[in-house]
Amino acid sequence: MSEIGRLALLVGFLCAVFSVGSIAYGLRTGRVGPLRSGRNALWAVCAMTLLAVIILGRALVARDFTYRYVAEHTSLDLSPLFSFASLWAGQEGSLLLWLLILSSYGAAFLWIYRKRLDPFYDAVAMVVASVAIFFTYLLSFVCSPFRMLANPPVDGQGLNPLLQDPGMMIHPPILYTGYVGFIIPFAFGIAVLLMNRTGTRWIEEVRRWTLFSWMFLGFGVLLGARWAYIELGWGGYWGWDPVENASLMPWLVGTAFLHSVMIEQRRGMLKTWNVALIVLTFELSIFGTFLTRSGVLTSVHSFAESNIGPWFLAFIIGSSTLATALILYRKSLLESENRMDAIVSREGSFLFNNVLFVALTFATFLGTTFPVVSEAVTGSKISVSAPFFNRVNVPIALALLLLTGAGPVLSWWRATASVLQRNFILPTVAGLLATLASLPFGLHGVYPIVTVFGAAFVLTTVVMEFARGIQARKDVAASRGAMALVDLMTKNKRRYGGYVIHVGVVMIFIGVLGSSVFQKEAHQPLRTGESMKIGDYTLTLKGTDQKNEPGATVTRALLDVSQNGKSFGVSHPAKAMYFKSQQPMTEVALHQTLGEDLYMILGGVNDDGTVSIQAYINPLVSLIWFGGIVMVIGTIFTLSDRMRLRREEKEAV
Amino acid sequence: MNTTVKIVLVSLVVIGSVAYLILSGVKQTGMQYMTVTELAQMEKAPKAGGFRLDGIVAAGSIQYDQKAPRLQFRMTDGKEAVNIVYDGLMPDAFADGRDVVVEGTFRHTDHTLLATKLVTKCPSKYESQGLGEDKS
Repeated sequence: MSEIGRLALLVGFLCAVFSVGSIAYGLRTGRVGPLRSGRNALWAVCAMTLLAVIILGRALVARDFTYRYVAEHTSLDLSPLFSFASLWAGQEGSLLLWLLILSSYGAAFLWIYRKRLDPFYDAVAMVVASVAIFFTYLLSFVCSPFRMLANPPVDGQGLNPLLQDPGMMIHPPILYTGYVGFIIPFAFGIAVLLMNRTGTRWIEEVRRWTLFSWMFLGFGVLLGARWAYIELGWGGYWGWDPVENASLMPWLVGTAFLHSVMIEQRRGMLKTWNVALIVLTFELSIFGTFLTRSGVLTSVHSFAESNIGPWFLAFIIGSSTLATALILYRKSLLESENRMDAIVSREGSFLFNNVLFVALTFATFLGTTFPVVSEAVTGSKISVSAPFFNRVNVPIALALLLLTGAGPVLSWWRATASVLQRNFILPTVAGLLATLASLPFGLHGVYPIVTVFGAAFVLTTVVMEFARGIQARKDVAASRGAMALVDLMTKNKRRYGGYVIHVGVVMIFIGVLGSSVFQKEAHQPLRTGESMKIGDYTLTLKGTDQKNEPGATVTRALLDVSQNGKSFGVSHPAKAMYFKSQQPMTEVALHQTLGEDLYMILGGVNDDGTVSIQAYINPLVSLIWFGGIVMVIGTIFTLSDRMRLRREEKEAV
Repeated sequence: MNTTVKIVLVSLVVIGSVAYLILSGVKQTGMQYMTVTELAQMEKAPKAGGFRLDGIVAAGSIQYDQKAPRLQFRMTDGKEAVNIVYDGLMPDAFADGRDVVVEGTFRHTDHTLLATKLVTKCPSKYESQGLGEDKS
């Protein structure tokens, strides 16, 4: 079986090479035959990848320890589901997952555009195939998942207990769906340059592909944060770890692109900038994979150091050089059709949105790679961590929050004084009122105050926009109330979907503010019957017990939780001891409400019989997760808009 | 003033502020990234400022007072070693011989790093010890 897997990857590699060659030949000569064969070869790459995944997946589920990868990442006591998920627990499998998702995007692209015989789409397919060459090559010749053992062990080495979590099972595929998805916008961008394509139709297409990946990437980042919160047991969810930063950076640049692309559609400006942003988003996605896999920087996540780092670096340098050269070569194609008329305008706000997003990305990039950069520049290694990112990124993020409020109510071209007056007075008043109202809760400091002000400002502008739209619909269509709202939203999905996303963003800001500024912490050794207090909660130790679970012994503390005398029942913070790895694992107990989370950790049973309990109160943290869900809903709503695409299609015909 | 000039000016202000944030951030929060040997062999007491160290937990050196909670151990790079004191719960993956990263301030008098942050690198696979050669 393993030989078939190996062969599948090799055939996939050859097909990818053929696909690129054939399409390039077809484009040069203008012959249709080679173009069709090229597309078909890309289909074959997808099929071969799927075959390889099925073979490795079968081996994992069957716990076939003749495969090195299976022996390294699974064991007999692992459930079949987790065994299959071990597909992305290690390096070879993760690369295979990359290729699988790349192929899925390729297949989706080929299927959606199967009736479009415009050579432009062949060029897009060619770029996708050339990236597939890289991954099939790595999987065939550098780190094959199909290495077999001469002396297979009786049992495998098992999966890290930290990864044995349902959230962890879906986190990598979702994150990768985001990362890898930027291949399609990138391919479109490159194809535009290669084919000297003008017009705006491709922009609408790219916008949709980008939005799709962007949604998955954002969702994946939040899932990672949620996983860290529940599994790592330190009371927080974001530590500015290199791997976290790596997933955030393409998301930030992608967000910048999604905004600035609107200016291009509307005014024909910023073309070079937009292509550069697409390229940068894709390169940062690859860079993220590189960071996680190369061991260049120390991170909680760093995997065993591996030999693929240089390959990725070479790929990033090569592809970004080619893309830059292409952009310079096609400079005239990307010339702006218009100039900006005024700085206080929708365009102006988008422009600064872009400057700030790129600045945020740059600061994050610099902070993440600082040891490497400072050693190269000054010779001494300097490292920065969370305090640096909080100091630099928080003010930039707050400026962006304020722009989120201001941008949508500024008019295109030029915002006049009367527009400013009409649109800004109410939100400003609302912001000030919200700030005043939250002062009694102990709100102090510039950043927290700006956050509350900005959040109220944004929410008010969103409500105003909805109200104004509903009024307009009532006047025109004579529809009322809720119907007018539905009517309004379905008529302009992109715009109102965008506002829904903004509401999600505001929720996340408030959640981060609450959980970072107002977090409470307490630690106490307790004897049975004793209690500790945190906030208005009382935690009373009822005792401890031990259970046996497959692969581990679990020690639990039985904690009776009550708030102001009202009991919530017993919580079980626990520690599991895994036999295989001889590693303990903290199992957090969470009491979650919309307002705040009570987060309880069992430190352990002490020698004198006391039980160490650590507890946190994290206010408003659930708004972060709900904000993420709201953003996803808003994005799906926006994506369901096919009107604009159809209109552009008509224009194209 | 024409719009292009205005845009350039405002952008410069934004970029300037970000550059200021980054530079002052590095200055105030940057930590010297050293090997254990470099830190242990420092002759003079360091001026104020943080340190970041990568190294291995020396076997048998862990002293953990769970009630406090306070964790003390010696960190080594094979040549030299320094004492680490960390006030906090012991991370799950922490054990003899593990790769750890600590950040904190260095007390020169007793060669001790007072850690404010302790990260244990998580071995997401238990290296292929004992699995032997590939089948050729």
